[in-house]
Amino acid sequence: MLLGSPQLPFLLPYGFIGSFYMNTTVTTDVPRMPTRQEAPLPSRGRRIPEHYWGYLLLAPAVAMVLALILYPVIYSGWLSFHFKHAYLPLQTFIGLENYRELLLDGDGFWRSVYLGAIYGFGSTILQIILGLSAALMLNESFFGKALMRGVALFPYMVPTVVVAILMKWILNDAYGILPYVMDNLGIGRILWFGSDWVMVTVILVSTWTFFPFVVIGTLARLQTIDPELYSAAKVDGAGVIRRFWHVTLPQLANVLFVVILLRTMFMFTKFDVIWLITGSGGIGFYTKTLPIHTFMKTFGELQVGAGAALSMMMFLMLVVFALIYFKLYKRDEHI
Amino acid sequence: MNARLKKILSRISFYIGVATFALFCGFPMIWMVLTSIKPDGDILRATPVFWSWDTHLDHYRNLFDQTDFLIYFVNSITVATSATLLTIVIATLAAYGITRFRFTGREYIAGGMLFTYMFAPILIVVPFYILMKNYGLINTKLGLVLAYTTFSLPFSMWLLRSFFQSIPLDLEEAAMTDGASRPQAVVRVIVPLAFPGVIAVSIFTFIVAWNDYLFARVLTSANDMKTLPIGMNDLYNATITDWGMMMAGGVVVTVPALVFFIMIQRYLISGWGAGAIKG
Repeated sequence: MLLGSPQLPFLLPYGFIGSFYMNTTVTTDVPRMPTRQEAPLPSRGRRIPEHYWGYLLLAPAVAMVLALILYPVIYSGWLSFHFKHAYLPLQTFIGLENYRELLLDGDGFWRSVYLGAIYGFGSTILQIILGLSAALMLNESFFGKALMRGVALFPYMVPTVVVAILMKWILNDAYGILPYVMDNLGIGRILWFGSDWVMVTVILVSTWTFFPFVVIGTLARLQTIDPELYSAAKVDGAGVIRRFWHVTLPQLANVLFVVILLRTMFMFTKFDVIWLITGSGGIGFYTKTLPIHTFMKTFGELQVGAGAALSMMMFLMLVVFALIYFKLYKRDEHI
Repeated sequence: MNARLKKILSRISFYIGVATFALFCGFPMIWMVLTSIKPDGDILRATPVFWSWDTHLDHYRNLFDQTDFLIYFVNSITVATSATLLTIVIATLAAYGITRFRFTGREYIAGGMLFTYMFAPILIVVPFYILMKNYGLINTKLGLVLAYTTFSLPFSMWLLRSFFQSIPLDLEEAAMTDGASRPQAVVRVIVPLAFPGVIAVSIFTFIVAWNDYLFARVLTSANDMKTLPIGMNDLYNATITDWGMMMAGGVVVTVPALVFFIMIQRYLISGWGAGAIKG
């Protein structure tokens, strides 16, 4: 496996890291050079500063992230000051015109922010409630616990496109099993894909798919809570509910802080679930959240500049949300 | 006596809760499988038939014979596997570098990488598309592999870092004293010890690539380049929906991932747990 080891037995450990690095990356010819230079001077290998290898090993990862995440985000900022067509080679600098236009666009931009907030907060709150309840249940000891822990992660494993199609089938107006069951239970029919309910449907389906993320995060922490704390609370006469509020919840606070932040940010920028269930036209009008609006502007109306401006606005909103969230949390902690 | 009865009742209600939860998580998948093996006559009925007595696999046969499903399947496997392998190599190198060497800016690089995990795909997709178009990577598998590898890298590196940190340096040094070279020590000692982490990273990356709709939609348009999410959705939108066939497709897309997942679930949970706490 190691190209250099038999021929260069005198190479010192750091030199081998070099050959290790070369053999495992795709580009083999360029980094081979330093080894050859080191070979006649084995004692110098020892003096190669450690940080050199640290940077070298990190280089591929950092380069990819810089080139394919950070650069696109900066490029997007630059594009947002331009009028640019998706296919035609049209590109003109127009300053803040894109931003002015979208801020004045009540039916497009502001409506999508409003719908996005409903979707983002609605689905996050439901996920936290459901995920935390499930984690508490799975932390008890009962028959079939190991199996249930697996089952709880099932929804997360179903690919989004399958979730969308499967839910369209289960909730189908004519042949779906859930409308049928609800009819027979006397709850009555709901038009799940009608204009009144489609947002609720999308929120519920998203909750079903993503709540396991909350289970994974909180269950890991629940298992590390010292049982002594519960015994002590029991001795003091605290019931189940008080034990939850005064023992479990404070212990979970840090994990929940991260989980809520991540979930809100991911749900606010969620595209595929909504798009796959409702699409762009027709019923999609009632679930046109900010990510959908951005996608339509860019790839539907082919206005890349305006789409980039929308991305930047979404990014700004996330930053503002995170700042406010951190501030509230810090204040809470001081009390 | 009364206290015992109360205890039994609370136990029973707890198990009813567990059963309801199991049904909530598992029923949609059971229904998908049942629909996929039912004849059309039993699928399209106002009163749903739970179990049909003429089950058959026609829907699966139609899926592979009459559509390009197999092409999409092979594309998805190729892209997801390549992205996973590439991520493991690059993330292992980076995590090893960051845990075993001291250098200026180490913590900033680690933190900065994790920060990029916050950039949601929808924020990047517009400029990413233009970037790929400029480099002629539209309608290629390489474009998709690059996209998925990059998105998985920050989290993967962070996760592996927490695993590498928990492995004592002594073990590595002991192996090297015994005559192993440093790379040998890494491959034979460190990677096996961090195996749950490597597994968690592979699953994470594979799922990212297997599930993604947005980037595949934007970066590919040719039929022979489509991955499963695109292919499935286009099949759904193409004609009058053949529910039996769509459900068969759903089973084929979901079951391999599910079986794979059940087999390595233990590693996954310990890995994700560690990542969730330390990350």
